[in-house]
Amino acid sequence: MASLTLTVQQNRMGRWVLLVLVMTLLALPLIQVLAPDRKLVSNALLFSFTQMFMLVTLASNWNLTGGFTGYIDFGHAVFFGLGAYGTGILMSKLGVPFPAAVLAGAIVAAVFAVLIGSATLRLKGPYFSIAMLGTFVAMREIVRVARPLTGGGQGLTLPPYLNRPLFYYVTLLLAIAVVALVWYIRRSEFGSSLIAIREDEVGAEMRGINTTLHKITVFWIAAFLTGIVGGIWAFQNTFIDPDVVFFESRTVELVMMVMLGGLGTVAGPVVGAATIYWMRDVVWSNFAQFHLIVEGLLLIAIVLFFPYGIMGSLGDRSGTSLSNIVRGWFTQRKQP
Amino acid sequence: MVYAEEAALSNSRGIGQTPLLEGQKVSKYFGGLAALQRVDFAVYPGEIVGLIGPNGSGKTTLFDCLSRVQKIDEGYVYFKEVDITRKKPFQVAHMGLARTFQVIRIYRKLTVLENMLLSRQWRGESLFSQLRPSQPATETRARDLIEFLTIADLIDELAANLSGGQQRLLEIGMALMPDPELVLLDEATSGVNPTLIETIKDRIRQLNRDSGKTFLLIEHNMEFISDLCSHVYVLNYGEKLEEGTPTEIMNSEPVIEAYFGS
Repeated sequence: MASLTLTVQQNRMGRWVLLVLVMTLLALPLIQVLAPDRKLVSNALLFSFTQMFMLVTLASNWNLTGGFTGYIDFGHAVFFGLGAYGTGILMSKLGVPFPAAVLAGAIVAAVFAVLIGSATLRLKGPYFSIAMLGTFVAMREIVRVARPLTGGGQGLTLPPYLNRPLFYYVTLLLAIAVVALVWYIRRSEFGSSLIAIREDEVGAEMRGINTTLHKITVFWIAAFLTGIVGGIWAFQNTFIDPDVVFFESRTVELVMMVMLGGLGTVAGPVVGAATIYWMRDVVWSNFAQFHLIVEGLLLIAIVLFFPYGIMGSLGDRSGTSLSNIVRGWFTQRKQP
Repeated sequence: MVYAEEAALSNSRGIGQTPLLEGQKVSKYFGGLAALQRVDFAVYPGEIVGLIGPNGSGKTTLFDCLSRVQKIDEGYVYFKEVDITRKKPFQVAHMGLARTFQVIRIYRKLTVLENMLLSRQWRGESLFSQLRPSQPATETRARDLIEFLTIADLIDELAANLSGGQQRLLEIGMALMPDPELVLLDEATSGVNPTLIETIKDRIRQLNRDSGKTFLLIEHNMEFISDLCSHVYVLNYGEKLEEGTPTEIMNSEPVIEAYFGS
């Protein structure tokens, strides 16, 4: 598409920057192996990067439904929780190996997405958002009361496995794979259909797009990938309980990351997640008691001054803004 | 067209032909209000048919029922001899029925070309096959149609920046992108300047003559209707009041009464 993509020159430059970035990230843990005494690359740094890669993946997943399809999901963290608990239960109670447990946890998240999406994706605009938020809260309570299976409020302890470089590589490769998948979806005809749904769902249906099937498909893909992240996070953390897994502000953070980077763009969630993660690190370490105020002010500033995010400011107009999506909720009439 | 010739043509209408679109006793109710009551109609392949009536007579509701945006409460609609009464809008679109809207529906935040590309041919394709990248042939078709509709100089312009008439042309182009057999145009000349009306008229005629496309037009512009249509249906208070050639309709007492009062 003409202006839905970056120009050729920007693309070429972007590819080189991307290649250098990926090579550097791949080489980072090797520095620790080659020069362990210098402590250039500490375990803490690898842990920080691992967290960031997970956030990049989560933000990219959220962007599939929120940014591409225009369905602002305030309960997306429910899939993270299902992935985490699916993995946790299988590993701690049944002794299932980590890769199989993660896969099973992600499948649970995807199946739940199909079931809940079949109902909630029929709702439009804020009704969908609230319904998903309700789903998230309800699932946390279910996990809390299903004590025999989930350990209830006392949580579950997973077999400890402290290998920072392994988690670093697993999450890095997952982030690369997910961003590549999002990029591919965006340039595919399926991705074009999602954009059409975002811009005018009734019009898209009238023009031959099976909107229900498209929405549910992208919803379970995002849920599956988020479920994988949840499983990896649970294993890395070695302990899960309802409050730490079903953390209310996790989805809000994802929304903020995507909006800062550029809603509906491929690179936006990557840029936004990285920026907010490192910025939060700095703010937290220097002004611990103010970090939430800073994040709140940042969210207001994005909405007011950078509606198309960092990527939009750099000339990538393939995305949209939250105000466009919200305006669409109230101007797209069901009946023409 | 001479009245006698027109009348003869009207009398021979549909003989030996199967309707492309046919409605039988189509009814639609909004609560206690009957928006459509037992409306019968037929559109034959290659025709340009008009649908007129005073405001609130049920024209757009009929379009909504045909394109399945609205559920049909009673009666049946057949398209290409297939009962589409209970089909979903996207299924009807896949069968080759496209439409425009009274209130223009375009993707306002996207460019003209992007609007066209998002309205491509989706017929009978699996979701899996849609994972391929956007096809060059689609873009070629979009560019050709944009040129055909005389808005080529606006190809990279945001749709929101187009004038009302240009947006109408774009919406017609979007309806034509999937290469439909039947196009329903809802007030295509509403708010459009006379020059662009002539362009729209010319393009409809050309598509009908050269590509055999069938049109069903809702219009208030009687000159537009009489220049293009071979047959006209008139609705009033949700009921079919009259049908016939444009000349017959313009001379019909009940139609004149419906429009201007007794």
